[in-house]
Amino acid sequence: MILTFFNHELKAFWRSKNTGKSIAVKVFLGLMMLYLLACVLFLSFVLDKLLGELFPKDDLVVAFCGILLVYFLYDMVMRLQLQELPTLKVQPYLHLPVKRNTIISYLALTALFSFFNLWPIVLFTPFIVKIILPENGAAVASAIWLSIVGISVFNNYLALYIKRRANLNGWIFLAVGGLLSLIVCGDYIWHLYSIQKASNLVFGNLLKTPVLVMVPLLMAIAMFYINFFYLKDNLYLEELSSKKAEDRKSSTEIPLLGRFGHIGDLVANEIKLILRNKRPRSALVMGLFFLFYGLIFYTQKVYGEGMKVFVGMFMTGFFIISYGQFMYSWQAAHFDGILVSKVKFRDFLRAKYLLFAMVSTVAFVLTTPYAYFGWRTVMIHFVMYLWNIGINTTIVLWFANFNQKRIDLTKGASFNWEGVGASQLLLSFPLLICPYLIYLPFRYLLHSSDWGFGAMAIIAVVGIATRDFWIKQLEKDFYNKRYKIAEGFRNK
Amino acid sequence: MIEIKNLKKVYNGITVVNIPALQIQKGESVGLVGNNGAGKTTLFRMILDLIRPQAGEVLSKGQVVAGGEAWKQYTAAYLDEGFLIDYLTPEEYLYFIGGLHQQSKAQVDEEMNALSDFFNGEIIKKGKYIRDLSKGNQCKVGVASCLLQNPELLMLDEPFANIDPSTQFRLKNILKDQNKNKGVTTIVSSHDLNHVTDVCDRILLMEKGVVIKDIATSSSTLAELEEYFGVGQTSGTVNYTAPGIDQEENH
Repeated sequence: MILTFFNHELKAFWRSKNTGKSIAVKVFLGLMMLYLLACVLFLSFVLDKLLGELFPKDDLVVAFCGILLVYFLYDMVMRLQLQELPTLKVQPYLHLPVKRNTIISYLALTALFSFFNLWPIVLFTPFIVKIILPENGAAVASAIWLSIVGISVFNNYLALYIKRRANLNGWIFLAVGGLLSLIVCGDYIWHLYSIQKASNLVFGNLLKTPVLVMVPLLMAIAMFYINFFYLKDNLYLEELSSKKAEDRKSSTEIPLLGRFGHIGDLVANEIKLILRNKRPRSALVMGLFFLFYGLIFYTQKVYGEGMKVFVGMFMTGFFIISYGQFMYSWQAAHFDGILVSKVKFRDFLRAKYLLFAMVSTVAFVLTTPYAYFGWRTVMIHFVMYLWNIGINTTIVLWFANFNQKRIDLTKGASFNWEGVGASQLLLSFPLLICPYLIYLPFRYLLHSSDWGFGAMAIIAVVGIATRDFWIKQLEKDFYNKRYKIAEGFRNK
Repeated sequence: MIEIKNLKKVYNGITVVNIPALQIQKGESVGLVGNNGAGKTTLFRMILDLIRPQAGEVLSKGQVVAGGEAWKQYTAAYLDEGFLIDYLTPEEYLYFIGGLHQQSKAQVDEEMNALSDFFNGEIIKKGKYIRDLSKGNQCKVGVASCLLQNPELLMLDEPFANIDPSTQFRLKNILKDQNKNKGVTTIVSSHDLNHVTDVCDRILLMEKGVVIKDIATSSSTLAELEEYFGVGQTSGTVNYTAPGIDQEENH
């Protein structure tokens, strides 16, 4: 039976519309995976040298033991964020004469097929074979190896268990997140204890008495069964599904937008789209994180003013790029409704311009504290802000006409390749190159950055002033392509 | 109201719609019936300029629908959930649609009060987004948004499929009221022959993209349709059910 399940799972993977749709994305994903694996492999083979350099005073094995618990702590953090629950797929089997234990064992076992369980093994095995095996003998080496496997399995099921509990009660996730950050802060900020030392203690004892390997293994088995029985008690759809217990939804209004009439209504709808759906919301949150982007570059003298063009563009316009690259796909689910409704496409486009301008303005205001690095920085940000709403918005919307891929709004953003196609890749070229096409000639040929910024500002303002012209062009282009776009969006 | 000329749509070499000529007069109530794959939804979509026909054109009030905007002023349609903005609450959505037609919130509220029977207390102020409603309740929102637009042309694709018997009954009354008292031209498709013969004065029967029958509804229409759909069965038997009834046709 489990084999049948496995067979279905494979079919689901290969036949899923996401995997089948675009070979380019598949190849790209495959290459990324290979690259990541190569990186980890490389890291694992130089781990002994790396540790030797990082902890020159310590013995290699001691240093190795010291990093293990630290690794697993971050492993846990990553798992909580990224690991997916293998759940919803069981729905078609629940009503069939299949034993519940079979379904649950299958669920529990497939949870092991996660890259998170592969990394520690790939990362640490070479070190164990190279250093610990000759130094401490086969018994100790296998004990260490087994305990690493044991802890990652333990982490695996603990993360899933927490995630499952959190599905029913969102506070659990917050509590665990808080606890984890307290543990990290306790070590690195308040210096109350040292995870490294604790790790040394644990694995040091393991070196002396390899029999202790039973402890992590038993922990892993115990966690497996806790997870198993929890699942068995809660094998009901509403509890399995990734939807949280729904609270009451209220209608909201954004009063400020009332001034803009119809267009304001459209923007209000789109803001609701962003705030009420997982994936666009994370595009917005990422934009907030990108506001700190400048701190990475501005604190280092190596990067000159040319970098500020790039950084300023990203900080004031990250939302335009990250949200705009999937433009219209966000509304794929009700695109037919838009086409049939009284909304003129021109107004629809105006609403996009207004939305982008608003978000960019907020982002620009939030970046003003960068005045700490000189008012000139703020000036550059302002030029890039103008550029974003004058030029980049039009570029993004022009590429939107080439996008025919549907996006399911309810799915999360991490590792979600739905809606990704060639147009996103192509879009990045004009966005990155255009500002430098204006800026660099002034800087290197005329030796005047100021004129470069002035020229960019003028072009951006011209872009803003001639907006209606661009909207007309975009509308014309859209009318040629709308059947294709609408059809693409209809394909679930 | 609607005039169709040589309309043709081909998918992968299969003709899904092929209508040489069809006229729908103002104030008519037209029922569209046909088995799955007969081309009903495709026809609807072409009338609404959502897909491009291979040949021919659709005229609404004498103007070509494709590329035009004028028909949107007086046409309201609900084909599927793709017409609803599913992350809004029903109220927000209806206010939005009302706003497009220059209606204030108070006006929309008034209209919704008039529909409170039809909603059966399941739509307004339930604290749910449209995406969390059942298919039947989504259909109610869709129909309400159509009525809100005070259309001259109302198009519904299988509105009876997911709603409960009481709502089916109410919807039939609404459709009759719109057509008889307000002069709205209605085009409704359905798999339920009883409903469609009850509501519509004219029935179009489609098969493989072609309108094979165009009949004015009379007392014998139901029997005639049942004979067509009851393939291989003698019509008029007591425990007869039409095999054409499919509760959920997904496109």
